[in-house]
Amino acid sequence: MATEYTPSARAAEFLSKVVNGRYKRQIVNGLRKFIDNRVDEEMGTFYSKEEIANLISIRGTDRDIESRMPVKITRHYFDLAKNSLPIQTLVKASPKETFDLDGAEDPGKQMDYSPVEGLIHKYELGLIYVASTCSAHCRFCYREELIAGKDVERPDGTVAPKGLAQVGELVEYIQAHNDIVARNGGRHPKTGREKLREILMSGGDPMVLANLNLAEWWSGLADVGIEQIRIGTKELAFYPARFDQTFFDMVDEFHAAYPETKLRFMVHFNHPDEFLKKDDDGKYIDDPNGGLVWVDATKDAIRELGRREWITIDNQAPIIAGINDDSDALRIMQRELRRNRVENHYFFCGRDIIGHKAFNVPIEKVWNILNDSQKGLSGIEAHARLSITHYKGKTEVAAVANHPLPGVPGTENGFVVLKLLRGAADAPDRGKLCIVGRNPEAIWFSGYDDRVIYDEAGLFSHVSSGVTEPVAAVSTP
Amino acid sequence: MTYVVGENCIKCKHTDCVDVCPANCFYEGPNFLVIHPDECIDCDLCVEACPVSAIFEEDDLPEDQLNFIDLNAELAEVWPNLRNRKDPLPDADDWDGVSAKRDLLDRGAA
Repeated sequence: MATEYTPSARAAEFLSKVVNGRYKRQIVNGLRKFIDNRVDEEMGTFYSKEEIANLISIRGTDRDIESRMPVKITRHYFDLAKNSLPIQTLVKASPKETFDLDGAEDPGKQMDYSPVEGLIHKYELGLIYVASTCSAHCRFCYREELIAGKDVERPDGTVAPKGLAQVGELVEYIQAHNDIVARNGGRHPKTGREKLREILMSGGDPMVLANLNLAEWWSGLADVGIEQIRIGTKELAFYPARFDQTFFDMVDEFHAAYPETKLRFMVHFNHPDEFLKKDDDGKYIDDPNGGLVWVDATKDAIRELGRREWITIDNQAPIIAGINDDSDALRIMQRELRRNRVENHYFFCGRDIIGHKAFNVPIEKVWNILNDSQKGLSGIEAHARLSITHYKGKTEVAAVANHPLPGVPGTENGFVVLKLLRGAADAPDRGKLCIVGRNPEAIWFSGYDDRVIYDEAGLFSHVSSGVTEPVAAVSTP
Repeated sequence: MTYVVGENCIKCKHTDCVDVCPANCFYEGPNFLVIHPDECIDCDLCVEACPVSAIFEEDDLPEDQLNFIDLNAELAEVWPNLRNRKDPLPDADDWDGVSAKRDLLDRGAA
């Protein structure tokens, strides 16, 4: 049962001004609608008869794609998908998803860092789950345990579905953590972490919440000293009309009430087809005033976000097979986003988790695709780095070299340079490198377990390969 | 399109749905809940959450409950919003699945 949360007087005054919007997402939930042909005429052919038959044949088996990830699409996204194979691959269920169920359940070991239900406190940033659904579902989603309501195992061995954060419980935790940190001269006595300054609202998609729910979260977080609130959302692709006047009125009231709390929208575009218009030949349209022509609702939403100087917009997206493993598409996307006030933050390698083999692109190939996409971009357009999430922290795939390093065994086929961008807790190993021999098939760190050459970052300290010398010398926190 | 609370909620009112609703679109009467059709975001979460399978997507409503579409819309304008889960009605289990409960619907305020 949710604990009752009482907003502060300041929050209550802000909340009293918030109005919820009304939305027409026109969502189609479940394959059933397509199987029974109870969608409108135009959507009736979205799945071919053969595709439907194949999906029906695996229903109820361990390969059932709907129990892996519920099928869901908005009308807006369907309209984009009609003319885009990459978008169809992103949103249409396929038997390929469960063809190979190899992989780990939680390679980032997230549950080790969850002191309160719905909170992952791994970095100086806290991640909270505030919704267990999105307006549409990416087939490659790696939050499937949350979206599909699956059981997860906790460090204490108990098993239960991942729950959502509750505002009352969460603000109490932040207050208590930050009080301890303040009393201890700026660092937590046990973990070495600094005060929590930043919270990432994720899920699911926070933008499925009503304005009033968002407002309650924002004011609650601001009241306990959170200085930056990130909103991780794909709603600009799935249903940009969510960013309506009632939303921006709420955003402006929030800024009036809490001028020092900044909003950072972490948006998720995988492919330019998600925001660019196409002509009858399927080509993007040149805007005579510069750049390419955008989908109106998306452009409007980004313009409104972007003109508020206390809001930042950053894009981050995984590189997924059949969707955006395409350097030309990525080049266009990075250029157009940057032109429109969206920073290109990270691209990710897909995770090696159950049901992801169909989506994974090998790490070295991803690096080459992204690197090719950034040829022809200006420096500020090419800010995005390629990241892969290690248990120890976010890691950059910094370089893939094709030639041997003279005199260094293990580099005969070239080598890969990894750099730890962030560490858990107080980030003791930030900036440290790791060099491994190439493995063009590798989709995860484990693909390099047998070819570690240099590991100052300690990414492979669990592997007793005997090849590396600095591992033993690296101190662990 | 919206989701609709149907007959089997009457005299049970478990409120598990309220816990999972991201849009807080449930409204509460004395012995029944309704969904505000304009606030519902079609997320489907409440259908699974309801222990007595009382919630349907509009298109899936059994024929003899079609009047619950209008009933939800009407009462959502009158009843107060319910944001937090509470205990079910005391004899909820006895009323689960009982047919023709609709005459027992109490339209008064919660």
